[in-house]
Amino acid sequence: MLQFLLRRTFGAVVILVLLSAFTFFVFFGAGDPAAMSCGKNCTADNIALIHQNLGLDKPLTTQFWDFLVGIFAGRDYSIGHCSAPCFGYSFATKQDVWSTMMDRLPTTASLAIGGAVVFLTVGLGTGLIAAYKRGSVLDKVLTSVSMVLSSAQIYILGPIALGLFVYSGIMESPKYVDFTSDPAGWFMGLLLPWLVMSTIFTAQYTRMSRSTMIEQLQEEHVRTAKAKGMASSYVFLRYAWRGSLIPIVTILGMDLSSLFGGAMITEFTFQLAGIGRLAIDSVTTLDLPMVMGVLIFSAALILVFNIIVDATYAFIDPRVRLS
Amino acid sequence: MTTLTKTEGTAVPAGSDPFLSVRDLQVRFSTEDGIVKAVDGLSFDLERGETLGIVGESGSGKSVTNLAILGLHNPKATEIGGEIVLDGDELTGAREKTLEKLRGNKMAMIFQDALTALSPYYTVGRQIAEPFMKHTGASKREGRQRAIEMLTKVGIPQPSLRVDDYPHQFSGGMRQRAMIAMALVCNPQLLIADEPTTALDVTVQAQILDLLKDLQQEFGSAIILITHDLGVVANTADKLLVMYAGRAVERGSVKEILTQPRHPYTWGLLSSMPRLSSDVSEALHPIPGSPPSLLTPPSGCAFHPRCGFTAEVGGARCTDERPLLEAGRAAACHLSAEQKQTLFTEQIKPRLG
Amino acid sequence: MNAFSTRRARAAIVALAAGSLALTGCSGGSGSGQDKSQTDKDAAAQAKAIPMGTAADSVGPAVAVKDAHSGGTIRVYQRDSYNHLDPGQMYVSDMKALSQLIFRGLTSFKQDDKGNAKVVGDLATDAGQMSDGGKTWKYTLKDGIKFEDGTPITSKDIRHSIERLYAKFITDGPTYVQQWLSGGGTTYRKALPDGPYKGDHLPKTVLDTPDAKTVIFHFKQPNSQLPYALTMPGYSAVPDSAKDTKDAYDVAPVSSGPYKIASFKSGKAMQLVRNKNWDPKTDAMRHQYPDGYNITFNHQASDSTKRLMADQGEAKNAISFTNAVDPTLTKNVLDNADASKRLVQGYQPYVWQMNFNMDRIKDKKIRDAITYALPNQQIVRVNGGSYGGEIAGGLLAPTVAGYKKGYDPYGKISHPNGEPEKAKKLLKEAGKTGMKLVYAYSNTEVRQKEAVVIEDALTKAGFNVQKKEVDAASWYEQMGKVKNGFDIYMTGWGQDWPDASTVIPPSYDGTTIQDGSSNYSHVNDKHVNAEIARISKITDVAKATAEWQKLHQYIVEKVNPAAPVFYTKMLQLYGSNIGGARYNLDVSYIDPNTLFLKK
Repeated sequence: MLQFLLRRTFGAVVILVLLSAFTFFVFFGAGDPAAMSCGKNCTADNIALIHQNLGLDKPLTTQFWDFLVGIFAGRDYSIGHCSAPCFGYSFATKQDVWSTMMDRLPTTASLAIGGAVVFLTVGLGTGLIAAYKRGSVLDKVLTSVSMVLSSAQIYILGPIALGLFVYSGIMESPKYVDFTSDPAGWFMGLLLPWLVMSTIFTAQYTRMSRSTMIEQLQEEHVRTAKAKGMASSYVFLRYAWRGSLIPIVTILGMDLSSLFGGAMITEFTFQLAGIGRLAIDSVTTLDLPMVMGVLIFSAALILVFNIIVDATYAFIDPRVRLS
Repeated sequence: MTTLTKTEGTAVPAGSDPFLSVRDLQVRFSTEDGIVKAVDGLSFDLERGETLGIVGESGSGKSVTNLAILGLHNPKATEIGGEIVLDGDELTGAREKTLEKLRGNKMAMIFQDALTALSPYYTVGRQIAEPFMKHTGASKREGRQRAIEMLTKVGIPQPSLRVDDYPHQFSGGMRQRAMIAMALVCNPQLLIADEPTTALDVTVQAQILDLLKDLQQEFGSAIILITHDLGVVANTADKLLVMYAGRAVERGSVKEILTQPRHPYTWGLLSSMPRLSSDVSEALHPIPGSPPSLLTPPSGCAFHPRCGFTAEVGGARCTDERPLLEAGRAAACHLSAEQKQTLFTEQIKPRLG
Repeated sequence: MNAFSTRRARAAIVALAAGSLALTGCSGGSGSGQDKSQTDKDAAAQAKAIPMGTAADSVGPAVAVKDAHSGGTIRVYQRDSYNHLDPGQMYVSDMKALSQLIFRGLTSFKQDDKGNAKVVGDLATDAGQMSDGGKTWKYTLKDGIKFEDGTPITSKDIRHSIERLYAKFITDGPTYVQQWLSGGGTTYRKALPDGPYKGDHLPKTVLDTPDAKTVIFHFKQPNSQLPYALTMPGYSAVPDSAKDTKDAYDVAPVSSGPYKIASFKSGKAMQLVRNKNWDPKTDAMRHQYPDGYNITFNHQASDSTKRLMADQGEAKNAISFTNAVDPTLTKNVLDNADASKRLVQGYQPYVWQMNFNMDRIKDKKIRDAITYALPNQQIVRVNGGSYGGEIAGGLLAPTVAGYKKGYDPYGKISHPNGEPEKAKKLLKEAGKTGMKLVYAYSNTEVRQKEAVVIEDALTKAGFNVQKKEVDAASWYEQMGKVKNGFDIYMTGWGQDWPDASTVIPPSYDGTTIQDGSSNYSHVNDKHVNAEIARISKITDVAKATAEWQKLHQYIVEKVNPAAPVFYTKMLQLYGSNIGGARYNLDVSYIDPNTLFLKK
């Protein structure tokens, strides 16, 4: 297990370095950040001065090296010292990139985790019920509803939900409230975004959970359990459900990035300021340090979660654990 | 009454009902393409301590029959007709709860491929202990003790260690033993073994079969041994049922059928079986063609498209009329007893060497 | 609704706004009839320059707003976060609204309830004392002016505020005053390369502070524009103390206005609370009615419009400083009996024009042909109709002194859909029928829709239009290149204050042509260049305005470097519990100074 973690962590670091190098060098083809801020003063002299202020006058390789070193060792800027992990200061706002991300993280994390909790419980639960009652009217209703909702994109559902619940005054506008200071406000503020965001996932996981369950129920070892006289609910949950966890966890692992993407769209739809919003804003303003920070940070998160997912296989599937 | 009178072994008190009685069993699956008659009008009896071999190609209805006895078919997609009586209890149409109490307890099943039939997610010990705890109300500790005991009984070395292993950590033979241990954990009176040795190499096969025999001696269980391997049956079973396309085509004692088979299909099975004594250069005689579709079974005798002796019967009897299986030692074939005798002695026996 | 919607919109086009034509107050009823009559009513005042107020005009406190209450927090829905909080870096009108609440400079615009504006002293006792033929300007500071920490604002702070603009980290703000004091282009920076941070100062012959209350500017050339320029947020007071943290001041500025920043989460939210050290007696135009402002960002126009239109919960107490009514919802808002009573509207200072690359299209007949061919009405419709814009006849916006109502040499107002036949004829005369025309436009929704109608009209007039879509984020950067490779492209220019000197020289002075210059048409006309140099030196603002007006007509009629397309307008909605809402001519959005909560 330790070796597995070490190997995967090393792989993740390599991926991150390559990714950041790629982004860093491609970014300079995208446009000149100086031209984004110079206002009416976009003369060559002023652009050169802004380049100098932003450190863009140095050779690209030097800039990239300084950036990498900064992440691990911290860096000194004219604004002040930026301690590790240092992603620098935003070109656009002069805000510290790391603390800006840390400020945004709770919003995105709350969205993603809360949304995942909703779609995992509701989606998997509904799928289980449908599989248990397969062929029944209930199953058919659940299956067709999930079929319809599995194309309910956030950007379509969001405005509808806003119109129905928020603009009409039934609900307060979604907002992010710090969980530790006001858990109830946190919950109420994010309820609508969670529901909207998780709808499409819920539908997809309902269908997936139903079909993997039905597949698992055909498995021979499930039949064996039945032949042993185990109660059908026991067989259903302990044998079939256990088996269907593996494909579900696999898909969940692959869905992590779309979950993150979903959180981004949700942030946009509900005017919540999270990492996703930050990513889009920083790309449109050519805010290189912020782009790099957000990219590396979110890629790292996804990689870490992928490692966690792979590690959970070991807990779910003893064949992985011991081989 | 079609009960075979046993010439040896435990005698059945006259007039009492057999331990397991299957009467006119019908198993039909509804599929998208239509109704599949997987088992069509099957009847047989089985006494305690007795071993019934059921042979036939894949799709002949052997496994379906036995799953029907345990009631393991999906009731929504399956229609079961006829009756199955176990020790006086009617099983067809019984409530799921009733069946649950019998399964793994009074009747148990050993499946063909222990690798897929055992759950990869739980330890061997837990899987063995589960039915024991369920049916006897034993505690976890007792269940574990029992599992170790069973593993010992089926000859697993270091059972107290291996009890915590997962199935994939066992070799194929050991897994099959574990499977048997699991089936026997509640001392079942009816044991259905569905090709228990097919996946194993020959030496292990023999050990497993011996094991089954020993256990039968000890508990006096009735065993149904499903196989397509007549060699396995020869050493293990008392009685034999040959199935083809969902129906029994020949019935008799093992000795009778192996030495005096009466059905062309049984002849085919025997001819296609290699023998140690035979010359390597001598060709085997596989049955031509393949098993029929159960969706649209052939008219008349289901075996007629593959049968080499329809000409002997003459006319269109084989294609039009379904031969009946008489009670007792019998074969469902339109050939007359003499024809069968002659054909077997003249044409088939020489091939068997 | 226009190119300013690119984030961090270029200050080049989102400059300060003011103007006496802008409509005031809410529009009462609805419909374009009212819109039109308001326009006509105020049109007459256009040629006049905004007057300088007297010392009496500069005295606080400001005239109380009718029925105003104190207390409560105003909710503000904003699309974009503030990229700069250092006033020296502020050049964008988003920030202008905010700067009204937290910063004060030497002068400011003061608007009365009839929509008339004056330049008055803000921190200074008056708009400025000019002497030496416009080369010397003297300001005296008021008593009782303080920063948020209670430190009095002295002449040293004002000197520091100006001198720090020479430092290298200040790159985004206005450069007028620095250039007037120390030289044009970027040469002024050489006068004080490190700003005041290493103990160096501008010589007393340039910027003098004889005592704690007096600031004297000495210019090389006569100057008439200083009082206007000093109203810009870029010239707001910054303390000459350790609180000026240079680069870092951009995230933690010191307030001098009625409100101060309690918290700012970039891209998320900002809380403004009352600044207890702001003394209303020192301020002629600001109030402190609400307890504070709760600003959140990321609200697209459609979201803020829907919230304000629904007027539920907190939205009753809400405004947006700079979000307009979403153009697609304009009709819904006007048709809504309730919402249509909660509107402010007025002109924005921008003129959209179709620039001709005069290096490539040298024949005026072709430029005229394009001008005649353009379907201005259809372009305005794409931009939200009569509430989003108004067909332009010339290149000076209605908000600029010197604008002449009805000036329409190319018949754009009389023929709003263009004159393809006339264009065709001119093109034939030029012998260029079927000429290839490379037309660039940015990849925003509105610009793409415009491109369709423009291409269609020009094709009808006999041009072979080659459309080239350009990324919106780098639009002005690309158009600003001297060799941009395009024939025609639309740009919007806004004044920095309502004087033509902030429009004509930056746009049409041939001596400034270089990469990044705002002379997008590359006009280089000897007469124009000479006139710009001459008029710039006239210290009598009224006289200069008349001269600019003449030059403007020459440029439009004799040079025709850009076809006038439309003047932009602003329509904003506010919550039902908001009182004192009116259009601010200076910020060209809802006036942040007069707002209060009704209950």
